[in-house]
Amino acid sequence: MPRNKYQDSTSQEFHSKGDVHRLKILRILVAFSLGIILVRLFVIQIIEHGSWVAKADEEHTLLETISARRGEIYMMNGDEPVAVVLNQTAYEIIIDPTVTKKETIEYVINTYVKDYSKANLDEIYSTEGLRYSIVAKNVPRDIAEKIAHDEKVSAVWLKKINQRVYPEGELASGLLGFVNDEGVGQYGVEGSLNDELNGEDGLLKTTVDVNQVALSVDNDSIEIPAKDGANVVLSVDRGLEEGIEEISKNTIASSAATNASVLVMKPGTGEIVAMANLPNYDPNNYSEVVDASAYKNYAVDDPYEPASICKSFTFSAAINEGKMTGDTTYFNNHYDTIDGWKIENAEQRSTLYGPISMRTALYWSLNTGSIQALRLLGDNPSEITQEGRERLYDYYYNKFRLGQVTGIELIEQTGFIPDPNEGWGRDSTYANMTFGQNLAITMVQTAAAWSAVVNGGTYHTPTIVKGTYVDGELKTGKESGVAVAEDVNDQILTPETSAAMREMLKNNRSYRAQLGIDPAGYDLGGKSGTAQVVINGAYDDSFSQLVGSYIGYIAPSGEMPEYVIMVRMWGAGQSIGSGDAQALFESLSKYLISYYKIQPGVVK
Amino acid sequence: MRKHKSDLVILFATLGLMALGLIIIYAIGPMRSNVLNSTYGTNYSDNYFFLGQLRSVALSLIAFFAAFKWIPVKFIKKFAKPLMIIAIILSLALWLLSMTGSSLAKCELGECRWFNFGPVSFQPAELMKLALVIYLADFFARKREDGVVGQWREFWLPLLIVSGISLFLVVIAQGDLGTGVAMIAIILGMLLLSGISTKQYLIFLISIIIVGVGAIATSSHRMERIYAWVDTISGAESNDSTYHIENAMLAIGIGGFTGVGIGNSVQATGYLPESINDSVFAILGETFGFVGLFVIISIFGALLMRTVKVAEHTDDVENRLITVGVFSWTLAQVVVNIMAMTGLVPVTGITLPLLSYGGTSMIFIAFALGLVLQISCYTNREVIKNENISSRRGIGGTHYTGRRRSSRTS
Repeated sequence: MPRNKYQDSTSQEFHSKGDVHRLKILRILVAFSLGIILVRLFVIQIIEHGSWVAKADEEHTLLETISARRGEIYMMNGDEPVAVVLNQTAYEIIIDPTVTKKETIEYVINTYVKDYSKANLDEIYSTEGLRYSIVAKNVPRDIAEKIAHDEKVSAVWLKKINQRVYPEGELASGLLGFVNDEGVGQYGVEGSLNDELNGEDGLLKTTVDVNQVALSVDNDSIEIPAKDGANVVLSVDRGLEEGIEEISKNTIASSAATNASVLVMKPGTGEIVAMANLPNYDPNNYSEVVDASAYKNYAVDDPYEPASICKSFTFSAAINEGKMTGDTTYFNNHYDTIDGWKIENAEQRSTLYGPISMRTALYWSLNTGSIQALRLLGDNPSEITQEGRERLYDYYYNKFRLGQVTGIELIEQTGFIPDPNEGWGRDSTYANMTFGQNLAITMVQTAAAWSAVVNGGTYHTPTIVKGTYVDGELKTGKESGVAVAEDVNDQILTPETSAAMREMLKNNRSYRAQLGIDPAGYDLGGKSGTAQVVINGAYDDSFSQLVGSYIGYIAPSGEMPEYVIMVRMWGAGQSIGSGDAQALFESLSKYLISYYKIQPGVVK
Repeated sequence: MRKHKSDLVILFATLGLMALGLIIIYAIGPMRSNVLNSTYGTNYSDNYFFLGQLRSVALSLIAFFAAFKWIPVKFIKKFAKPLMIIAIILSLALWLLSMTGSSLAKCELGECRWFNFGPVSFQPAELMKLALVIYLADFFARKREDGVVGQWREFWLPLLIVSGISLFLVVIAQGDLGTGVAMIAIILGMLLLSGISTKQYLIFLISIIIVGVGAIATSSHRMERIYAWVDTISGAESNDSTYHIENAMLAIGIGGFTGVGIGNSVQATGYLPESINDSVFAILGETFGFVGLFVIISIFGALLMRTVKVAEHTDDVENRLITVGVFSWTLAQVVVNIMAMTGLVPVTGITLPLLSYGGTSMIFIAFALGLVLQISCYTNREVIKNENISSRRGIGGTHYTGRRRSSRTS
């Protein structure tokens, strides 16, 4: 009975308003909380969906670079390309100082890679928070394999890297350049054609798990394959380059000069077959070079004053304009005074005093002769005129393209040709310009312009890249896939002017031929240049430091020139006259003839 | 009261959620194995977690049907006090064992919440929740019968002592704030139906809030969670503390409207901590999208609403209190878990009922829901509605049903 009573009472109690009301609270609680959740989910999943996906993309995606193989560099060996810059797999040794035992890495360095390690372990192990340190570089594969198989070694990592190798050692180092630690080509061809050599790295984009392992669930994996770099073939002949460097080295050794730069060009095409900068350095150990100037390719990257070589250009201009010939005479007074500046001839012998021919003036490299040529160019035999300056500028800058980048596939500097109508002392400036001072031009500009003087009057853009080497085949021109300098092929002088210049330039060397210095059966013409050096903004008249230059051509007798050689020699604080440069030219021309087995022409 | 058919919504919601839990663990279990293997060098097979969940579901089904069909609720009610004592003793034992550093106590991240019996582990806090529901139902019903509800000595003091001891053991000794929240919800929910006056209830509620705030403010560990939560919702810079919520929300956000599909979750591959247990809701959001979560929340909503309905139509005070206790338990876990995953409340470490990986928690909530289902067979309203069905069952009927019915009506 009490049980029934209890049931009744609870039943009544339960159906009292209070309890029903309180249970309703629970229903409201459910509806309210789940409602809030649904609204929240709607915001996250529908409204903010895009930004969450973007964020997920950021967190879940691994971008991995697929390294492109850097192209090799070839020179020509006869008609066949031969590799002078190669790639080799090497290894870096990496440690995590918090994991790697110091004794272990000490053991590895002392046992295997002493020569490849410059790491300061004490410093590495005392650096707080350091988790990554490269302790050895350029470790060859065989040594790396030994380390990998050494059971005493743990927590030492080997990272494969592509190492640039220069099997020819120092050969043509100034021309080739090197690749720095970041894999970027520096100086030379490595620097100028870095993009072509480098190729394009590929990209792998994958969704990864929290441990950076690629997931197979992902459909968005993107793989852009790497585009390997081009194997660049230079027009430089490896054997010739080697011989030229050897001879130049010996010439430097027997002279006061410390440096020499040599350029050999085919005047009929603008193709460069040798380019040397002595002394060389070893690009395999480029970091050991103390003075960065050693990296410089002086033939293209260093504007200077080739001095009297430029008389060839002044004479060409006056002859081409019909203002003079080699037989035109003028009165040589040993000096001229322009704008109040006295300009003297280097050669003061008394037999030259008085009326002499332009041919003679060029032979003795008389400054008064080239100044006279400038006057004649301006249609006034006794005064330098505006017209003369403008015409000389037109030839120097527009036709011979001096003071402009030539377009050769190398890092080159512009140089500078003064404006004919601006600045103070224009006449004296231009008088100096006729014999190659008061301007700044590079060797390659000079050689390309001088080639036009002797090749029949056509300017060819200098070029040093022949093409590319693809699957054992030499590809040239557009097929090569690299930007080879485009030849402007510009007739800037008449063939007659060129012939007249050849005759005079050959005449310059007539006594050398008579002495038997120049080999019989060949026509060699040339022009020397000795430049004063600007010290503290003024020409150093004490002649304590000089730069000697010489440019010349080689032709079988009675035929067109086949090669132009330009030589420049200098040394800090040294007076290097054109005599040293001329001697080097002579050695090189003989070598060139024998190397290329150039057949002598028929002497008419 | 005559027995009739149980509440089908609760039945199928429970079974459906268990099945869904199996599916999602099947999909992400291999990822979990992979993450653990590559991070800790363990050797879990791809099926390890699925098989674990399968075992939990099997045991949970046994517990569910035991509570639903086999063990009369009347019988369970007799054990209200012993059950509570056992739960307290087990938790106390675990605490002592953990202090002695015994291998029987299994600890993770410095919190010792499990007994370790070789391959089987057991979390006494889960038993504590069930024991609390049954004990409080018995306690409140008795006090109500005695007419002493709301009296300090007879009602409040024993309530506070039992609640205090059990909460201390779970929240302080085991560091399990999540279960603590569920227990407080159980206490508050059942107290509401204890016949207490509104005034007393509100005073108690406010006291709980004050104590809660005080407990949080005085613990740097708990404050950290609050800061992390504030940082996350205010969009402050990411840090280690905000990582969990951020990645949970990221998973849900990726899901969008329809989800990335089964087996395509990326967040489960190690980005989202606790992806198979506490954070499973976020993975469900990534996999099934808004549509899927809407369905899941609707299932929970239906389950909870039907549970309230069972309570409404249960005349027996104690049964009604049990039902409300189970309701509060389920609601607290669902809401706190999901709100944490969506950045609405700080992360407390609480499982999502029936979906999260884990044995003990699923078995006990399944048992609790089974009890509600048994109680739903004796509601007053359904009697009339289901009379036909009931009698049809009676005609073809099992001996069991017939016997029970007659015994009840005598």
